[in-house]
Amino acid sequence: MNRTVANDPALPPATLAPAPRRIGAVNWLGLWTLYLKEVRRFVKVATQTVLAPLITTLLYLAIFVLAVGGAVHTVGDVPFPVFLAPGLIMMAMVQNAFANSSSSIMISKIQGNIVDVLMPPLSAGELTCGFALGGVTRGAVVGAVMWGVMRLILPLDVHSLFFVLFHAVAASLMLALLGIIGGIWAEKFDQMAAVTNFVITPLSFLSGTFYSVGALPRFWYFVAHVDPFFYMIDGFRYGFTGHADGSLAAGLIVLTVVNILLWALAHALFARGYKLKA
Amino acid sequence: MVALVGPRRFGAVNWRGLATLCLKDLRRAIKQYRYSILGPVVSNLLLLTVFTLAFGRATAVVGGLDFLQFLVPGLVIFSICERAYETSSESLLFDKMEGMIADTLMAPLTPIELTIGYACSAAATGLITGVAVAVPMLAFVHLPFASLRLIVFFAVAGALLHGLIGIIVGLWAERWDHHAAALTFLVIPFAFLSGTFYSIQSLPAVGEQLARLNPVFYVIDGFRAGCTGHADGSTTIGMVVVVVVLLLLAALAHRLFRIGYKIKP
Repeated sequence: MNRTVANDPALPPATLAPAPRRIGAVNWLGLWTLYLKEVRRFVKVATQTVLAPLITTLLYLAIFVLAVGGAVHTVGDVPFPVFLAPGLIMMAMVQNAFANSSSSIMISKIQGNIVDVLMPPLSAGELTCGFALGGVTRGAVVGAVMWGVMRLILPLDVHSLFFVLFHAVAASLMLALLGIIGGIWAEKFDQMAAVTNFVITPLSFLSGTFYSVGALPRFWYFVAHVDPFFYMIDGFRYGFTGHADGSLAAGLIVLTVVNILLWALAHALFARGYKLKA
Repeated sequence: MVALVGPRRFGAVNWRGLATLCLKDLRRAIKQYRYSILGPVVSNLLLLTVFTLAFGRATAVVGGLDFLQFLVPGLVIFSICERAYETSSESLLFDKMEGMIADTLMAPLTPIELTIGYACSAAATGLITGVAVAVPMLAFVHLPFASLRLIVFFAVAGALLHGLIGIIVGLWAERWDHHAAALTFLVIPFAFLSGTFYSIQSLPAVGEQLARLNPVFYVIDGFRAGCTGHADGSTTIGMVVVVVVLLLLAALAHRLFRIGYKIKP
């Protein structure tokens, strides 16, 4: 019998090779590590991930108020800048939530270090959760910073904290999940740029960020009401201004259902190893 | 007797090298047309839609033009400038990061030829993107095209100006975030705050004075004057300012290439 560390009688039992870590139903340590990785990744380049969206959003606010403000003073009974601000905050939040999970997964795939995420004992559910919460965190940080800065120049008080928080979290989660799906699907940077340019940006621009959908022609008014992006902007705006274009209850239901479906899809992709495992 | 192949002889200007350098970046941009051309077309049509819808039925008139006539030239010149900036800065930075910049530095090209080559290919790419952005918009908006001379001058000058800025940023930047930061914190604010979307007459007095010190304002205003006949500032002053700034930036870019700033040991 070969002498090994494990069976050597000369060695005290304390030096036995360490047993594998026991993991219960959820690998909390692994999940927490993945989440921290996702958060540290964007915090390290905060100039690009927090400051840059802030500047871009303030620019949009300035140019829309300067260009449109002369002609449109109020939307409903809300001053135009106050109508615009929640839409802009929401747009920045969802774009950043999407960018976080999609770029993380795609860059890892291209550079080959995705194995560092696939090898550890993380289940498909834990992977989905870690990446999604990382995106939600970036969305929330971006949104909170923007709200803090815009409050200095606009009377942007919270009307209903529940609607603000629900829509902030639900919208960031939805886009973070879409980011996971996009990141797993895309194989090249220009495919990802195409998703951002042709899907995410148009949906967030055209879903009532800049105008009340009540002003839309009949057909587009209808389209807006089946568009989850419309509900997240509308409900978030209601949380600040108390003014909603659509039904708030319908928004809560639509966002919850869409999030469940996207979560299931992201989970299924990780479980199958679609484009991730041989 | 065996005829030896001698080195290629060329005169004061290496025309073939210059043309090759120009074509390199142009071809790269055309190859990535989804990103470099279709992307700006879609995002500018979106901006046009959003502005139209945000106005609703309120018909705003800026200096005798309806708002869309005012907006479209701003969007077109902005997309020309942005694409020109990105073409030269991304090309230089990408080549630097991949180590391919040696292929450009080893070739018998003088600093003047490098400056002209990068600036011209960036300008050409910007102008192609500008045409692609303008054509679908003209289906929705009628523009009188008051002066072809002003349109061509300010489109070319704006594209060259941003191509040169792109060279300087591309040489200076060491990582992609440097390049993105210059775009977010420098190029876009300068253009957005200089009357791309609104008449600077709607700014507070201080803002209007500041805008008049900004060369990008003159590019946008002059281009719009060519398209619509309406100018917020003087197009003559604009031409002088733009030419002076172009020469200064060209001198700086040339100097950076000559000393090999961040590209030679």
